[in-house]
Amino acid sequence: MGYRYITDDQLNRLVDFQGAREFHLHKDRAKRDKRMSLSEAVGQFVQDGDILAETGFSYVRAPLQSYMELIRQGKKDLVSIGSPMSNSSYLMSLGLVKAIHLSYIGVEMRGNDKNFARCIKTGMSEIVSIWSHGAMALGFKAAQLGTPFVASKQLLGSDMLKQNPYVKVIDNPLNRKEDPVCLIPALFPDVCIIHVQRADRFGNAVIEGPAVNDIALAAACRKVIITAERIVPEMTIRDASDASIPFWYVDAVVDLPYGALPGCMPGYYYWAREWWEWLVRICTPSQQAVEDFFQYWAHDCKDQYDFIDKLGGSRFMDHARRLMEAAQANIDDSGVSFAYQEVIPKRD
Amino acid sequence: MSNVAPANPLEMLAYNISLEIEDDQIVYVGTGLPMVGAMLAKLTHAPNITMVYESGGQDPMKGDMPWSVGCPFTYRKSPMSMEMSISFGQSAGGYVDIAFQGGAQIDMYGNVNTSVIGEYGEGLKAILPGSGGGNDIGSLTEKSVLVGLMTPDRFPEKVDFITTPGWLEGGDSRAKAGLMGGPTAVVTQVGVFDFEPVTKKMRIKGLNPGMTVEIAQMCAAFELLVPDEVKMVPAPSDEVLTILREQVDPRKVFTKMPGM
Repeated sequence: MGYRYITDDQLNRLVDFQGAREFHLHKDRAKRDKRMSLSEAVGQFVQDGDILAETGFSYVRAPLQSYMELIRQGKKDLVSIGSPMSNSSYLMSLGLVKAIHLSYIGVEMRGNDKNFARCIKTGMSEIVSIWSHGAMALGFKAAQLGTPFVASKQLLGSDMLKQNPYVKVIDNPLNRKEDPVCLIPALFPDVCIIHVQRADRFGNAVIEGPAVNDIALAAACRKVIITAERIVPEMTIRDASDASIPFWYVDAVVDLPYGALPGCMPGYYYWAREWWEWLVRICTPSQQAVEDFFQYWAHDCKDQYDFIDKLGGSRFMDHARRLMEAAQANIDDSGVSFAYQEVIPKRD
Repeated sequence: MSNVAPANPLEMLAYNISLEIEDDQIVYVGTGLPMVGAMLAKLTHAPNITMVYESGGQDPMKGDMPWSVGCPFTYRKSPMSMEMSISFGQSAGGYVDIAFQGGAQIDMYGNVNTSVIGEYGEGLKAILPGSGGGNDIGSLTEKSVLVGLMTPDRFPEKVDFITTPGWLEGGDSRAKAGLMGGPTAVVTQVGVFDFEPVTKKMRIKGLNPGMTVEIAQMCAAFELLVPDEVKMVPAPSDEVLTILREQVDPRKVFTKMPGM
């Protein structure tokens, strides 16, 4: 395949086992206070041209307020990867992301993301490789396990094999019978931002609810930013012994309450569902509408609190908290309704 | 006369999905109608099924309809949740009995396309979201059930792109490719289909009330195999419809017909 945007270095760095190991060996490993502001963390650790891994589950415990900061800082020439990776859609149309390793971009039943399709069709950005969620997840997991590749039964027989320069089908050499397997290389993105429920100042981080790929990504990525709803005393984490990301992976720690808005955060708040429907159903058909949408929600917000004001302020926030507590059955949910007014475009 | 309105096509789809599920199974649930079908099964004939979701949710307590496969209702008071790679590993390791998948195109061998209409590059017509977990559950799970609204466009002879392999070119081509399990049924608004055991071509299994072989054939761009005896799927009972409407999808998120 010939590529338009991705450089050979970006293409090869993703699977550079030795290179990632070298990078990790030279990281500052002192257990020090790594707290800094979001703009400092993003400014220092997300560089133009980086391979950025999406974390969380696109709109569940995803670092969406940090993506707003990426937009505000005007990062560019990023390559994105993640399973899933639905936020890469708008990062493409806003010019941050030029190339993607595709697993899934969409918001499930909310509607087809026409923005993603337009970015590819018009050549604003390009698809470099195509994956299933599970195959990509195994690539991140292989990196965490410290193994150069894993052999899997995913992707076999599919046309994704023709659109993926990284994977290779071989006959399992350990089996006497014919046994095709797919070799999936360990994947090493440059940077990821992981939003967690709590972390200490050193970067020991606790995830509640599905970790998705984030434990693997914290180990795989060259640089890791942790943003947290709460920065807790180290002893809180030691007492519970429930951290799933150790401090030595972590370069920066950001105290960022509401950092997953407008997505949902287990233990804290439910989605701004209408926001997603507005984005996917109303704005994605037009480049101008997407730009205007993020002018309003990213550039015209200096931080998450401006964003909350636009969502509806304390009334919105309290409702989102109540819905999440009811969904998790932490309050009596019999009096809590999940009904809402869906955003449905009017047809002429 | 019953005072419960008969099932609309989407409700019939959800009902047929539920019938594919047997009690005690571990069920891998995707977004949309499969959620509805699985919840209906749990509230009717299969109370002891365990639902698992690709974001990592496992065995949630009963609750409202999830907004997404990452919704807190997919891990409501779950004993644990799993990382994504491990969640799919359950299918490969033989700890999932049945999974459901939708697609923009489903062909005569049950191959599914959720990637692209036309082809990448010059021949591009439309870009779809991509595999997500579809390829994984379809490649690894013992039984997968395909779900779709049936039209000749959506049921072509050959999909434009194999995102999730079904029986590939039929016969033993799937096993030769190294894959496990395979699609056992296709559920549409017309009825339920299976795959003829030797050729692996799609075959009519049962038709929904009011449907005929001719209607089914008009909805596919390839020739459907017709068994000697075509069964009719019985209409869901009033009791099942009431559970579907009042408990499973009371806000009609997935079972309301567009424009109605």
